[in-house]
Amino acid sequence: MPNASDATAAGLRAPGKWLPLGAAGLLIVAIAAFPSLAPNPYILSSGVIVLNWAVLATSWNFVGGFTGYISLGHGALAGLGGYATGLLITKAGIPSFVALLVAALLVAALAVPIGFAALRVRGASFVIVSIALVLILLLVFQSWSSVTGGSRGLVVPRPFPGMLRPEHHRVFFFLYGGLLLLALATWWLLDRSRFGLGLKAIREDEDKAESLGTPTFAYKLTVFVVSAAFTALAGGLYALWFGDLDPVFQFSVLTGSYIVLMALLGGVRNLYGPVLGAIVVGVALEYFKVEFGNSPLHLVTTGLLLGLVVMFMPDGVIPSLGGLVQRLRKGEQSSIREMTAADLAEQRKREREGASS
Amino acid sequence: MTLTTHGLRKAFGGVVAIDGADVEFRPGQVNALIGPNGSGKTTFFNCVTGMIKPDAGTVVYGDRDLTGRAPHVVARAGVGRTFQLCRVFPRMTALENVLAAVRPGGLLLGLRSAHRRSEQERALSWLTRLGIEHLAGAEARTMSWGQQKLLELAGVLMAEPATILLDEPAGGVNPALLDRIGTLVRELNAEGRTFVIVEHNMDLVMSISDHIVVFDRGRPIAAGPPAEIRADERVLGAYLGV
Repeated sequence: MPNASDATAAGLRAPGKWLPLGAAGLLIVAIAAFPSLAPNPYILSSGVIVLNWAVLATSWNFVGGFTGYISLGHGALAGLGGYATGLLITKAGIPSFVALLVAALLVAALAVPIGFAALRVRGASFVIVSIALVLILLLVFQSWSSVTGGSRGLVVPRPFPGMLRPEHHRVFFFLYGGLLLLALATWWLLDRSRFGLGLKAIREDEDKAESLGTPTFAYKLTVFVVSAAFTALAGGLYALWFGDLDPVFQFSVLTGSYIVLMALLGGVRNLYGPVLGAIVVGVALEYFKVEFGNSPLHLVTTGLLLGLVVMFMPDGVIPSLGGLVQRLRKGEQSSIREMTAADLAEQRKREREGASS
Repeated sequence: MTLTTHGLRKAFGGVVAIDGADVEFRPGQVNALIGPNGSGKTTFFNCVTGMIKPDAGTVVYGDRDLTGRAPHVVARAGVGRTFQLCRVFPRMTALENVLAAVRPGGLLLGLRSAHRRSEQERALSWLTRLGIEHLAGAEARTMSWGQQKLLELAGVLMAEPATILLDEPAGGVNPALLDRIGTLVRELNAEGRTFVIVEHNMDLVMSISDHIVVFDRGRPIAAGPPAEIRADERVLGAYLGV
């Protein structure tokens, strides 16, 4: 009879330790080296923006990757994190990084009623509800100008007032790098856990998961809150780094769309998929802005990219490449034929004989 | 534990799928629920397992009222089920499909690894029992219909329910596999599990059932042992229109 070791080898796709750890090592080296290698402050600031996207896409992937719920509203959660951080500093006088943490907790708390309402629906309905969240918050933050500054925006004081701009970028690059590693470590931990397996079961067939005893709603809500907290941290860090918030940019459906594109491009079922997607799309967005300015060309190109990904690599780049490597290594496999009781007895007999010889 | 319903009713618009069903499924037995297509058998299963909420009536398992409770609550009470159109987690391996039935047991315990050796061994033993251990590493979507049926049952068994509801276990499977399923049900029943089976294959129903309930137009019209049901004129009328 096969044992658990056989199962791990052949049956269970244990995510393994060495590949993710090796990739994490590479990522740490890249994060540590980039500020020294960046030729000018603009490239360094672009690096901060790309890391911001990487944290946002990884945070989104807690919900999108594990449960399959496609949220276009995560831009709004980042916006809430940014505004909450800014308002806690300017209105309540709380120190910058304490405000950042408190803001993330507040957004996580707010994610409970939001998730409670939004996660009751599935598929396209959930997508629409998530878009509605963005639009509602945009109206609220534009209209409530006595608190939020409305369309004039909100100026967030810098946490390091005397620091020169290049050093400011360098510090925030490392802060974003640390946050990204924390988000990745949390995702990895969940991916290996029983809770993560339950979430993946929801992605595959929610009713079936429920019928096996998984409290699907509680699972979805929990992971939504975790996702919201990380998203809010990214948004709050952006507020501290950029120093100026405008509701039109903070509560934009486009932000959520970019996040989804990044995660889909890299691969939502993979730990590093959203990071890879964020690097590709984030760099492309910066390039298009420099090349084409404020023209809509970057939107057209991004839309085309999304179309190509959905058509040709629906699982994303990393899983597609992984599948290709697997096919090259193992070759084509024959179909799995059903076995009769006699076939099975014969096979087990052969296995026993093989084991004893 | 006895699974009973009293006055269970469910309508979809103007169509009454279950019309005040009073049914009792006996513990420790292989119970069958039969009836013509559209007689409300699957809707009855869905009401009992919480997949849909009944309009009226009660579902009681042992001394516990499960009426309208969420499916995971019903599952945790000890009632497992399979589906008419077999449902597995297609992009998970067979072993992961079975492991998905493990109860995390709270948030902190939920963070424990899903790859614990003891649970893997238990999952693998179920796959072995059902004769699909050689497919432990295969994604469920690559498996045949019959293999998926066995995998679905393995997942249900992993959750250790005392009562198992099987919705058309013989649907679309070959005769050899049909024999295996029949034998398996009898073996698992001998180990103490109660079964309730919705099935159209009368040979299978008559050969493995201890107690049969016949549905017609959303309510039971007869109940008893196979020999009695076979001779019941109301049953013949419902099935053959005679």
